[in-house]
Amino acid sequence: MKRRQVRMAVRFVVAALVTVLFLFPIYWLAIISFKTPDEIFAYPPVWWPEQIQFANYAVLFKDGDAVTVWNSLVIASISTVFAMVIGTMCAYSIARFRTGGNLFSDWLLSNRMIPPIVIVFPVFLLFVELGLVDSFVGLILLYTAFNLPYVVWMMRGYIQDIPLELEESALVDGCTRWQVFVRVVWPMARGGLFATAVFTFVFAWNEFIFALVLTRSEVTTFPVQVTHYFGGQSNFWAKIAAMSVLGTVPIFIAVTLLQRFLVRGISLGAVKG
Amino acid sequence: MAQLSIQGLRKSYGRVEALKGIDLEVDAGEFCVFVGPSGCGKSTLLRSIAGLEEIDAGTIRIGDRVVNDLRPRDRNIAMVFQNYALYPFLTVFENIAFGLRARHRPDAEVRRKVHAAAELLGISDLLQRKPRQLSGGQRQRVAIGRAIVREADVFLFDEPLSNLDAQLRDGMRMEIKRLHQEIGKTMVYVTHDQIEAMTLADRIVLLNQGQIEQQGAPLDLFERPVSRFVAAFLGSPQMNFLPATVAGDAAGPAVRVEPGVVLPLVGARAPLPPAGTAVVLGTRPEHIGRAAGTPRPGQHPVDVAIDLVQPTGSRLYATFTLAGIPVTAELAAHDVQSPGERLTMWFDMTRAIVIEPESGRVIA
Amino acid sequence: MTDRGAMRGFSDGRRTGAAGARATPFVDRNFKYLMIFPAVAVILFIGLFPVIHTLMISVQNLTMLDEDTSFHGLVHYGRLLSDGRFWEAIGHTLIFVVVALPTELVLGLALAYLFLDRLPGKQVFVALLVLPVVVSPVIAGATWRLLFDQRYGPINQVIGWFAGEDVTILWTVDPAFVYPAILIAEIWQWTPFMFLLLLAALSNVDQSQLEAAEIDGASFWRTFFKVVLPAIWPVMAIAVLIRALDLFRLFDVVWALTRGGPGTLTETFSIYAYVQGFQQFETSYTAAMSLVVIILLAITVTLVLRRMEIDR
Repeated sequence: MKRRQVRMAVRFVVAALVTVLFLFPIYWLAIISFKTPDEIFAYPPVWWPEQIQFANYAVLFKDGDAVTVWNSLVIASISTVFAMVIGTMCAYSIARFRTGGNLFSDWLLSNRMIPPIVIVFPVFLLFVELGLVDSFVGLILLYTAFNLPYVVWMMRGYIQDIPLELEESALVDGCTRWQVFVRVVWPMARGGLFATAVFTFVFAWNEFIFALVLTRSEVTTFPVQVTHYFGGQSNFWAKIAAMSVLGTVPIFIAVTLLQRFLVRGISLGAVKG
Repeated sequence: MAQLSIQGLRKSYGRVEALKGIDLEVDAGEFCVFVGPSGCGKSTLLRSIAGLEEIDAGTIRIGDRVVNDLRPRDRNIAMVFQNYALYPFLTVFENIAFGLRARHRPDAEVRRKVHAAAELLGISDLLQRKPRQLSGGQRQRVAIGRAIVREADVFLFDEPLSNLDAQLRDGMRMEIKRLHQEIGKTMVYVTHDQIEAMTLADRIVLLNQGQIEQQGAPLDLFERPVSRFVAAFLGSPQMNFLPATVAGDAAGPAVRVEPGVVLPLVGARAPLPPAGTAVVLGTRPEHIGRAAGTPRPGQHPVDVAIDLVQPTGSRLYATFTLAGIPVTAELAAHDVQSPGERLTMWFDMTRAIVIEPESGRVIA
Repeated sequence: MTDRGAMRGFSDGRRTGAAGARATPFVDRNFKYLMIFPAVAVILFIGLFPVIHTLMISVQNLTMLDEDTSFHGLVHYGRLLSDGRFWEAIGHTLIFVVVALPTELVLGLALAYLFLDRLPGKQVFVALLVLPVVVSPVIAGATWRLLFDQRYGPINQVIGWFAGEDVTILWTVDPAFVYPAILIAEIWQWTPFMFLLLLAALSNVDQSQLEAAEIDGASFWRTFFKVVLPAIWPVMAIAVLIRALDLFRLFDVVWALTRGGPGTLTETFSIYAYVQGFQQFETSYTAAMSLVVIILLAITVTLVLRRMEIDR
């Protein structure tokens, strides 16, 4: 074999090992969710369960805990739609009319940099007064607001990539400004909308602090539900694992399907994918 | 009656003045071409007519309406863009129908008009394709089709052919001219290409640094340029400009380009400045020919030595030095064999122009 | 080609004065403001309004027991200065930033180099490697909790194989191991983030420049510092900034693994603020604390952004 091929073989082996290493925690979480209590608390640990069984999931559905995944889905979906529509409108205005100048877009983005914990307390006080604690409306509003800077930032980049002539042509052909936005900009930015929406959704789906502080019993989201099982007694392991898998698989599927948008999305547009 | 009328149009970008007071009338059904070098303001002028640029001062009328404050959609104009501006997410049919749909026209009317336009442009079999499945020329046709269905008062073209390769460009140029003859609408066309301007236009508007340098019929501008700029811009190869001095004599007005080379000016002309004044003599390459037989009136012989020969196949460009600068003559294909040849050229002095050096104005 | 190369964008349609006001409908005339209005309204409601509310509370004296809304001046701000636990929490947070960030950067870069050239199955590897990034951080913490269990977790088991005897490290309790435990979880989750961005950046480095360096006989490190690093710097800067801000607000993983314990040993700023606000109900004090951190962070980020001159 030539040196090049040896090199590639070595790299392949290392790459495979690294990948296994990084995926192992996810694997461990998954198999715990399929284990029987005896297997979970076996010493030494069982690396591969004798048989796959779904009792741990059945319990979640029987107890109604699984509804927290539904709560997360409702909150993440609706807040994503809101953030995308409102944010893209704002991004269009900034991209094409330089509305508010650099100061305005800096201010928008800086909102994204505020740590949740410092904003959650003021928001909590506000929500207490408005009666929005432990409500869908409250979390949807909050996630919409928290995602807006990201959406504006990303969509501004995508909109700037649309040739201006397309919009000018539409203006001449009889569109109002709003029609240009709906009939030309929106379809032209489709790729960017998908990419941005995925991350907006992932954020809302995975978010923990806001949900921890602002929900009680009515609208618990699944990450909060998982922490409810912590309590110290280790017999909740099966629930932790099953609940986590239930809430993570949808995200894995979404991200894998939209792989090609991933880099631009998580780099805040610094790398054009 | 003028279809398009512009008075005192001004436009600045920050401190840069793009248009410095434009006055212009375009008649109904006229094909008007804005031409000029990059940055002359021709595109800005077109976009101001379309309503895509705010104007600082002046009036724009389309028909009998002042359109200054109308949105583009309310001006009843159609525009073809340089990059075609086709919507990649729509089929050719929907691209052409776009303007009608935006105005919520009934479906039957949309279909009838789109098919008629497609028929006219020979793209009927492409209607279900997406723009990316089309060649450059086909895209151009779709873009024109989108303008035609609008039945607008004025059609605007912003360098529509500059993205096509040379061969296709000649073909499309012909088609645009034919289209104008068929539909007879007022068209305003921007280009930086003087050939396009000359071949298409009923009226050329030559712009320079935000002002109209000269406007009129193509041959008017070509044969009677008002300035050195116009004379240089139109015609290829470029007109030769020779430094000269006025040398009037008993036989009539003349200029001296070199000691011993005095060229008499023939034809009805304005009086020249006093003898000894420095001027520039302009003469086109095609008005310099190899001496043969008896000279026609106005043809004046000059002996030259050829420095450079550029055959094009049908013609031949020969360069020689006169008055210290290279001068190009357009000759028949076999008039010169090789550089170094010495021969006699006839300068057609009926067509030569005299330019005042400082202002660049043509004075005779 | 055109006369307006530098002027991409639209003019706003407002300059033409009275006549224009009649000819152009309200919506088109004020289009750009109408378009930003909903976004600004939502952000003001969630961002600015609560901050003002907080400012007011921070100069009152609200606690769980006391509904005292009278003006108390800057007492809570003063208390912050002498609150050792607050400064320790900031210190813990900085430890996580200072250790995790460079580690993620270096590991991510090494991984990116590993995958840079042609490799069979590259797409699959990359797709799998990024999965940790999109796991909810609190779920990641929970997962590591299971992995770190002293008896039933696989990690002590594997260490036991190498040690030749059973080990029972108390990862989430033993003061010597809590930091490594949290850092491992954190680094596991976010190294793939660095990897993904740096791989993209490295792939975009101009090949001809690399070839020129190779022809000149430059060493790997020389090429890296002179050619590669400047080329990937913009992306790297963004990645570091994003991660630094994320690490500064570190909460979820710590919450899931140690809840800031043992004692307050791994208490980050976010956890301390949570404890003060939602467990001790020191309302006014937490308000003051939040404001100070918002201001400190705003200043830091502004300075850093100016420094890096991140392209808008």
